[in-house]
Amino acid sequence: MSAVLVSEQVEVAADPTALYELSLAEGWGDGVPLLPPTDDAVLALLDATPYSPDHVVGALPPQYGVATIELVAVNTAMTGCTAEAFPFVIAALEAMLVPEWNAFGLTTTTSSVFAMLLVNGPGRDAAGIDYRAGCMGGAAGRGSMTIGRSVSLCLRNIGGQRAGETSRTVFGQPARFGLCFGEWEERSPWPSLAVRRGCAATDDVVTVHGGKGTFPLADIHNDDPRDLLYLIAKSIAFPLSNMFLSGNPENGDVVVAMNPMWAERFGKAFPAVEDCQQYLWDHAWQPLAVWPEGNQQILRDKGRVDAGDRVRLVASPAQIVPFVCGGLGSLHAVALPSFGESQMQSAAVLRRTGSA
Amino acid sequence: MTVTDTRATLTIRRPTAPRPEPVRAPTFKLGTPLAGRRIGLRTDGAWRSWVLIAGEWDERLRDAGAETLQVETNAQIGDGGRTDRRNIDAWSDEIDGGIVGLGTCGSCTSFSVQDAVALESHSKPSVVVVTSEFETHARNMASFLGHGDLEVLVLPYPLEARPDDELRAIAAEYWPKALELLGAAERPDRAAARTVRPSERDQQGGATG
Repeated sequence: MSAVLVSEQVEVAADPTALYELSLAEGWGDGVPLLPPTDDAVLALLDATPYSPDHVVGALPPQYGVATIELVAVNTAMTGCTAEAFPFVIAALEAMLVPEWNAFGLTTTTSSVFAMLLVNGPGRDAAGIDYRAGCMGGAAGRGSMTIGRSVSLCLRNIGGQRAGETSRTVFGQPARFGLCFGEWEERSPWPSLAVRRGCAATDDVVTVHGGKGTFPLADIHNDDPRDLLYLIAKSIAFPLSNMFLSGNPENGDVVVAMNPMWAERFGKAFPAVEDCQQYLWDHAWQPLAVWPEGNQQILRDKGRVDAGDRVRLVASPAQIVPFVCGGLGSLHAVALPSFGESQMQSAAVLRRTGSA
Repeated sequence: MTVTDTRATLTIRRPTAPRPEPVRAPTFKLGTPLAGRRIGLRTDGAWRSWVLIAGEWDERLRDAGAETLQVETNAQIGDGGRTDRRNIDAWSDEIDGGIVGLGTCGSCTSFSVQDAVALESHSKPSVVVVTSEFETHARNMASFLGHGDLEVLVLPYPLEARPDDELRAIAAEYWPKALELLGAAERPDRAAARTVRPSERDQQGGATG
């Protein structure tokens, strides 16, 4: 493919640190060294996608910079992302631009929330996407480490999202550097997340979750899977969850990343994932009395209290989302709490015919 | 041994999107006294402080002979969000000008500005109310949305956790500025005449998160 690039050219010294220094001076970077987005590097990425360089993925908030495929490729080239993995970056951005993901709110909020990329499909290994031990950090798969970072750079450089400036995030979170991991579908007792969301098992799919952070859960005492799920449900329904701030429990998804050993136990108790979600939902609530009196009235005013004085985390079981990943050491799960005013979105990865 | 030529350069591509030229959409002023006009107040269920201040201003508007129309927003997305945006659109049609609040967090400032811009897009005078911590963000968002001249009324920060009598005092202090930004040709003595009387109203309890 001989695409014509139109983005502005910049001369930089070939010294390995020169681009790093330039990126810091220009505000392009995230504080970590970058690779030079040369034409060769950008063109190699463009060759992997069916989109033309001038194809517009969308306007990225908060500044509504226009994300052309070329600009996305320039940002992606700086992370060392492979051509194989580049289409995952595009899919993630496409998913984030679905209005119900609420990029407008999520890119500007005081919350720590950021795009967490959950990947399904047969291309996970080839793209270097981690889904086993250390999948949320430490496994160092090239795809996991570069796809999420590419999305983050696109938000920064195309969308203009800068903490303390256009983003009012109070704390941020490590995922703002990029968080991308896969589902260990082969060890899951249930259909993959992507299949449950209506995608084909043969497709590579990126699901974008507006997650507030990684919330660790641990257990060594429970032999009964129902007891363990009960405690998971109670743990994710913590009183200061964003989900209890609003009167809209129907908005927002809470991901529960389950290690394969626990998932196997849960799958035996609940062969249908919907039944597992129902059980989690049945117990993901707190008694109204947990909250101080003033909060109780607010929760009542917002219609969050049921006839049994329960305050449920979310409106429906489908909003509690099991996702099987992680190592075989068992003992742990990780919840990815929701911002609330955001619904997870999925997009299939599209590749140029004939490319890997 | 390899020797690097330190004079060598690379040609790379700039990763940033061109910034659009600032758009200055027209702004509007009431240009008349409040009496006989219908003024809108947009509240947000999230902020007790703003509900109280908007309530104070609602009374002052009616004291001045205006009719008031409040609309409350509660959601950013989903059915609730779509309903809120439809209500803002209908509300914008029905009023002569409006005051939109409150921006005192990141996303609520963004959505307050968006709703104020929606009102201004109906060729109506529009004022967005934010707290000082979020003023720059509000002005940035107004600019990004193509309404860089949107009137922004800046209240003290923080408002939350203040007692009601302080909030009423703030409502009284900033009322003349709200009128000025709205462009109401109100007599200054009338605008400032009303005093704060905390004993008039029931105390409201409970701070929000």
